[in-house]
Amino acid sequence: MDFDHLFSTFRISASGLEAERARIRVIANNLANANVTRTADGEPFRKDLVVFREVLDREAARRDPGCVMAGVSVEKTIKSTEPFRTEYQPGHPDADPATGMLRLPNVDPVSEMVDLITASRAYQANLSVITTFKEMMLQTLRISR
Amino acid sequence: MQDLTLLSLEKMLDTATLRHKAIANNLANANTPGYRRRIVSFDDHLAKAIAARDPGALRSWRPKVTTSSEAALSPDGNNVSLERELADLMKNSLVYSTCAQLLSARLAAYKAAISGDSRSA
Repeated sequence: MDFDHLFSTFRISASGLEAERARIRVIANNLANANVTRTADGEPFRKDLVVFREVLDREAARRDPGCVMAGVSVEKTIKSTEPFRTEYQPGHPDADPATGMLRLPNVDPVSEMVDLITASRAYQANLSVITTFKEMMLQTLRISR
Repeated sequence: MQDLTLLSLEKMLDTATLRHKAIANNLANANTPGYRRRIVSFDDHLAKAIAARDPGALRSWRPKVTTSSEAALSPDGNNVSLERELADLMKNSLVYSTCAQLLSARLAAYKAAISGDSRSA
């Protein structure tokens, strides 16, 4: 078992931390833009969604087919196609002049908050793997004492 | 020198290290759609090799990663449960500590035998 293989656990957990942080950043952006009625393309703000993908270690897989685990990465962020919320606000500059209806972003603050909690718990879980692994390795160093 | 205890402990530490990696990967992918959790378990071959006191079989044994076929917990096809992984993590860390301490004690006994000093054991 070589060193690189031994410490790859740290990299896996770090990739998990990175991915969850990316998700929290997207949630923050969604919430910050929850009331933006006009963006560069003239439409209200569309909610971003993060897509995760498992990373496989091709080089390690060649040596040992069981060892393909290499963590997670953010594959892409996509724009949600959910319909916009609408509200009757005839005085608003972005409202439809004929009907007085204002289109608002498709961001639902409640579901964003739920996602935020999930992401934060997953972040903590990845952190505790790192802490535990560090303790395990220190224990190994103590074997020779 | 054939020390089956040392060899068994070494294999158990190897297994615990690989299992830790699998748990790390499971937790990193806790929100990846379609991801299936990876498991590392002690299999019959290891138990048999230890029971038969067969150093050759024990030496050639390697821990393996398998993909769980358990039903998905969420609609996106992911079957990782945060709670179960964290419980496995704690359990695995205790297994590792136990093996490391046993290995330590074994080596201390050798040291005592070599130096003839009963106090260093």
